[in-house]
Amino acid sequence: MIEPVRGLRISVEINGERHEREVEVRRLLVHLIRDDLALTGTHVGCDTGNCGACTVIVDGVAVKSCMMLAVQADGSKIETVEGLAPNGELHPLQQAFSSFHALQCGYCTPGMLMSAKHLLDHNPEPTDGEIKRAIQGNICRCTGYVNIVEAIAAAAKGEIK
Amino acid sequence: MLLAEVQYARPSTLEDAVRLLGAHDGARVLAGGQTLTNVMKARAAAPDVLVDLNDLAELREVSSGAGLEIGAMLTLTELIRSSDVEAGRPILAEVASQIADVQVRNRGTIGGNICSNDPTNHLPPLMVALGATMTIRGADGGRMVDAGDFFLGVYMTAVRPGELLTRITIPAVGDARDGFASVTIGQDGTCIVNAAASVQDGQARIALGCVDAVPVLLTTAPDEAAVRQAVQSAGLDPPSDVHASAEYRRHLAEVVAVRALAEASS
Amino acid sequence: MSETTVTPDKPITVDEQEVAPGFIGQNTPRKEDRRLVQGDGVFVDDVRRHGMAYVHFVRSPYAHAAITRIDVSKATELDGVYGTLIGEEVAAETDPFFQIAPPPGGDLKDYALAVGRVRHVGEPVVAVAAATRELARDAAELVEVDYEPLEVVLDMERASESATTQLHDEVPNNTIWQGNFDYGDYDAALAEADKVVRIKRLHFHRFSSTPLETSGAVVEYNRGTGQWTIHSNNQFPGFAIIMMAPALKVGLDKLRFVSQDIGGGFGNKICTHPQLVAMCLMARKLKRAVNWTEWRTDQHTANSHGNERLFLDVEVPVRSDGTMLGFKARMIDDCGAYTRYEPLGCIIWAQVTPGCYRWRNVRVDFSQVCTNKSPCGPNRGYSRMQHLWFTERVIDIVAQQLEIDPVEIRKRNYIRADEMPYETPNGCVYDSGDYARCLDEALELVDYSSIEEKRADAKSRGKLLGVGIGSTLDSGTNNFGQSTLVNPELQFSGNNEVATVKLDIFGEIVVTLGTTPQGQSHETTAAQVVAGILKVTPDDVNVRAGHDSYWNSHAGFSGTYASQFAVTGLGAVKGATDMLAGQILQIGAAVLGAESPDEVELDGGFVKRKDNPEAALPFMACGAIVNANNAVLPLELRELTLNCRYVYVPPHQMPDKERKYGNLTLTYATQIHACVVEVDPETGVYEIVDYGAVDDCGVRINPQIVEGQVQGATAQAIGAATHETFSYDEDGNLLTPNFYDYHVPHALDMPPLKTAYVESPSPFTPLGAKGMGEGGGAGLSAVASALQDALRGSGAPIVSDSSNPYNTVWNLLQDPGESRKLVEVEDR
Repeated sequence: MIEPVRGLRISVEINGERHEREVEVRRLLVHLIRDDLALTGTHVGCDTGNCGACTVIVDGVAVKSCMMLAVQADGSKIETVEGLAPNGELHPLQQAFSSFHALQCGYCTPGMLMSAKHLLDHNPEPTDGEIKRAIQGNICRCTGYVNIVEAIAAAAKGEIK
Repeated sequence: MLLAEVQYARPSTLEDAVRLLGAHDGARVLAGGQTLTNVMKARAAAPDVLVDLNDLAELREVSSGAGLEIGAMLTLTELIRSSDVEAGRPILAEVASQIADVQVRNRGTIGGNICSNDPTNHLPPLMVALGATMTIRGADGGRMVDAGDFFLGVYMTAVRPGELLTRITIPAVGDARDGFASVTIGQDGTCIVNAAASVQDGQARIALGCVDAVPVLLTTAPDEAAVRQAVQSAGLDPPSDVHASAEYRRHLAEVVAVRALAEASS
Repeated sequence: MSETTVTPDKPITVDEQEVAPGFIGQNTPRKEDRRLVQGDGVFVDDVRRHGMAYVHFVRSPYAHAAITRIDVSKATELDGVYGTLIGEEVAAETDPFFQIAPPPGGDLKDYALAVGRVRHVGEPVVAVAAATRELARDAAELVEVDYEPLEVVLDMERASESATTQLHDEVPNNTIWQGNFDYGDYDAALAEADKVVRIKRLHFHRFSSTPLETSGAVVEYNRGTGQWTIHSNNQFPGFAIIMMAPALKVGLDKLRFVSQDIGGGFGNKICTHPQLVAMCLMARKLKRAVNWTEWRTDQHTANSHGNERLFLDVEVPVRSDGTMLGFKARMIDDCGAYTRYEPLGCIIWAQVTPGCYRWRNVRVDFSQVCTNKSPCGPNRGYSRMQHLWFTERVIDIVAQQLEIDPVEIRKRNYIRADEMPYETPNGCVYDSGDYARCLDEALELVDYSSIEEKRADAKSRGKLLGVGIGSTLDSGTNNFGQSTLVNPELQFSGNNEVATVKLDIFGEIVVTLGTTPQGQSHETTAAQVVAGILKVTPDDVNVRAGHDSYWNSHAGFSGTYASQFAVTGLGAVKGATDMLAGQILQIGAAVLGAESPDEVELDGGFVKRKDNPEAALPFMACGAIVNANNAVLPLELRELTLNCRYVYVPPHQMPDKERKYGNLTLTYATQIHACVVEVDPETGVYEIVDYGAVDDCGVRINPQIVEGQVQGATAQAIGAATHETFSYDEDGNLLTPNFYDYHVPHALDMPPLKTAYVESPSPFTPLGAKGMGEGGGAGLSAVASALQDALRGSGAPIVSDSSNPYNTVWNLLQDPGESRKLVEVEDR
C-alpha cells in the first residue's frame, strides 16, 4: 500500500546519462535540472508557466519543467539543450539558429531549441504556421521571432548555411 | 515560484487513488499540473498531499460507443490526436487546440481543465453546451453528474474531497453540430469571453464562459435573433478586470454567442 | 552619402576563402552563439558558490504604509536559516543613496530596504537567507511585519495637490522636479499662426520591456581585503558602483562587478543597486556568499517600469498648409515611489525636443511626481520614446483636424536631409538622416499605393482597415552634462567607454570591453572592427566574454545602455586597435630592418615589408619579442607593450545651464514605421495585417545584427501598443504582475514584419556608425495612427493613449464624441 512521502530517491536519465538523487517532493523539475544536476542551460523566466524558458523533452514530449515536480520525472528519459551537441558538433537547429541570427541574449534559446526539436521530431516538414504554433509557448523579448521561425524552417529543410 | 512542503503519492490503481484521497484531509489530485503547480507556487493553495494520477492508464482511455467516453487523464494533446474524438465530436479537438501552447497541452488533461473550473477556461462551457456527463469516483462508489450540475463556483465543482473525476461522457453526435468562439488576449492567450454552441433537434444550447462563476447555459431557437435576445435577457453581470470592463464583456458575450452559433450552423 | 539597402532574402555571408579588406558591413557569424546555443552561457543564476545562501525578500503588501513592527525571530529559528537583514540595520550601516535631483526632490531618502515606511507594493522590507531557495521562501513567510496603511497616491495629476499625502517627508507636493523650457519665440509663433490646434490630454502608459531573465546577483565578501565581488546582471556597473560605494561607505574599488551573459536588459537592469546593497550587507554579515534571483512577479511589481507621462493643454500653432510653427505643453512624468535614475528623464526627452520636425518655437512646463507605484527605470527608449510618441500624436491629430494627408504633412514638416547636421531649438545637433526617404521606403513596404483597394476589400469582409505612420529618432551617446540641466550642482558631463586590445605572448589578439551586453552582439562587432584594422579575420580575434570591473577596462560610464556601443564601445575598440597596430608596425619595422614603420604593413597576421613581402614577422613573434625577448629591440622601442588601453571620449561640451541649451547626444538614428490594421467594429478586436520598419543607423557594422534589433524593438512596441500595460487597482496593487495577464507578443502574435534600411553615416563618429536599438517606439505611434485612420469613418475618434487594447478601441467606437472633445481647432 502506498503512503504519502515528503521526499523520494529518484532516478532520471538526462541526455543519456543516469542520475540518482534524493529530492523533496516540492522540488520542481527545473530546479532538479539546474541546481541538483548543474545543467544550467535550462532557464527560469517567470513564475506562472507562461514563458517556456524551462522547456525540456520528457519521454519524447516537450514540457515546461517548472510545472512538473522532480519526483514526477522518476524513471523518465529527459533531453535538455546540453544533449543536442553531444560531441561538440552542433545540431542542425543550433547551427541554423546561429546562421539566421535567431538569438540575441540567448536566454530563451535553450527552451526554444527544445520546442523546435520536439516539432521536428514529430513533424519533419512543418509550415511556418506550424512552426509558430510549436514555439507559441516560448517567449522571446529580443528577436521578435522572425529569425527564429526562419531558422527552424531552414533546419527542417536541411538548408543551413 | 517555490512550493511549500507537501507530501506525495503516486498510486497505480484507482482504488488506491480513492483511498489516498479519502485518507488525508488536505489531499488534492495532481493531474497534468499545469494549473495546480502554479497555484502552489503562488501559495494560493497549500494541499497537504498530492495524489498523482499519471500512472493510472485506465484514466487515459478513449472509446466510442453510445457516446464518447473520455478518460479524465487524457492529455489535451492526446485528445487532439484521438481518432475517436475526430470521428465522434471534433469540436473537442478544435477547442483543445486553442488552449495555451504545445507544452501545456502535452501535460494538461481534460479532467484537470474541467475540475479547475477557472471561469476563463474553454472546456467547462464546452462541456455544458455538449451536455456532457461526468463520472465521479469516491469511497462509496461512482456517481454521474450532468455538466449543468457539475460546475458549482469559481474553482469549485461537484467533485468532493476524497473523490476524483474519472470519465467524461459526451453524448453521441446524432445530428448535433457544434461551434465555439472566443476573444482572447493574444492568440490562445488569457480569455476575455468565450461561448460554446451545440445545435441539435432544432434547438441551440449556448454556454457562455467568463461572464459568471460558472458557465451560463442558454437554450434558444437556433437563429441569431433568438440568441441575441437570450443573451440580452440573461441578466448577465460579468466581472470587470484589467482586460475588460463588465460592459465590454457583456457585449462580447453576445457577439461570441452568435459566432459560436454561426460556426455550429455552417 | 546615403544608400538604400532593402533587406536581402538571405543574409550576406563572407566567403571564407576571401580575405576581406574589412569586416564593416558583413554579417559575420556571432561569437556569442556557440556557447549560448549549447546552454553553456553563464547567466547570474548559473553562478554557484560553495556554502552559498539563498536570499528571499519579504516585500510590502501595501502601496503606502508605516512599518510599526518587524519580528524575524520565528524565521531565524527555522533550521537552515542563516540570518536576516532589516531596514533599521541598513539605516545604521549605510548612507542613503546619492540623489540626482536638486533639493527638495533630492532630499528624499532611499535605502536598500524600506526604513520605517513602504511606498510601493513589493518594496523589499526584510531579507532572509537560508540554505535552499525553498527554505528562504518558507522562512520569509514566518517574518512578521505590522503595517499602518497610509493614503495611496496613484493619480499623477492629483499627486501634486497640497491635500494629497506626501510619500517622502522631504518632498512637498510629491514633486521631484519641475522646470520650464522655452526656446525660440512661442508667442510670436502663436501670433503668426493661421490656426491653433489644442489637445487637452495625451497619455503615455506604464509598461516595460520585461527581459526574460529577471534581475539577480551572487555576492561574496572577502573579509581580508574588504572586497565585494558582485556577480550580477546589472547592465550599467559604472552607475551602480557610483551609487553603491558611497552608500556602503567604501571606496569604489571595493566593489567588483562581474557578469558574463545577461538575458536581456533594455534598461530594466540599471537600477538594481538597492537590492545589490542589501546583498552586500548580507554577504558581509553572514560571512558567506549569497544568491538572489528575482521572481517574475517581483520584477513586474517592484523593479523598473518605463516612465508614465501625461501631456496636458497641448497647443500647436500651425499654418493653413499644415506647417507646424511650434508647440506648448504641460508635461507630468510619474516616476513611481523612488528616484533612482530620475529625474534624468526630465531632461533626456529634450534630446529630441522637436522630434523629426522643423519646430522652432517650443514652450514646455515639465514636472515629475512620485506616486505609490513601482519605481521607474530607463526602459528602452527612455524618455525620448514618450516625447516622440507625443510629437507623432500631435502631427497625426493636426493632419486629421486640418484634413491634410498624413504623408504630405510629415514631409512638409520633416527636417530635410540637406539641412543636416541640424541644430534643434535647444541646441542639439541631429547628425544625419533622410526622414522623407525613410518614410517612402516604409510606405513601399506596406504597399501604400494600394491601400484604398485594401480598405475596400476589408470593408467587404466587415472590417475597418487603417494605415498609420510612426516616426522616431534613437538618440545615442549621451552627454551626461545634461544632468546639470536638472541639477546645476551635479559634477557629471561627457561620456566615455574603454577598451583594451593586446597581442599576447603567443601573438593572440585579445580584446576586453567595458560594456555589459545583453544580446547586442558586442563580442562579434568588436571582432569585426579589430579584424579590419589588424588585417586578420574575426575568428582570429578573441574577445573576452562579459564584464569584470576588476580586470577589464572600465570607466565611469561603462555599461551597455542608451544606444551607444557602436559609437563609444567600438570607438574605444578602434582607438585601442589603432594604437596596437602602430606598435606592431614599429616592432616589425625594427626587426625586419626597415627604416620606418611606413615601409611595412599588416597582412593576415604578419608584418611584412612592402618592398619584399617574403620578409615577414608573424604576430606571435612580435608578442614573444616584447614579452620574453626584448633585448633584441632598440632601446627607444622598449616602452612598447602591445597592450593598448584606449578611452573613447565623445566630443561633448558642457551645456548652458541657464538656457537649458546644448548638444545632449552625439548621434541620431532614424526609425520610420508604417502599420496596417484591420479592426472588427463589432468587438474592437484588431489585427496588424502588415508592418514595415525602416531604420537608418548610419554605417551598419553587422547588418544582420542591426536587423535583429529592429525586429525585436518592433515586437516590443507592438506588445506595448496592444496589450502590455502595468495597471493598478485603487489600493496600488499591480493587476498585471505576470505573463499571464501582462501579455507580451508570442510567435503567433507577430504581424508580417518587413524591414528596409537607409545608411546615412554620422559625420561625428569614428566609424560613421550610430548607436541603435531603442527605436522600436515608432511602433507605438504607428499603431495609434493606424487605429485612428481605421476609425475615421466611425465617428473619427481621437487616439489619445499609447495603450490601445481591444476594450479601448471598442470604447472609441462606442463613443467617438467623447475622445473628439479632447481636440479643438481655433481659426485665427
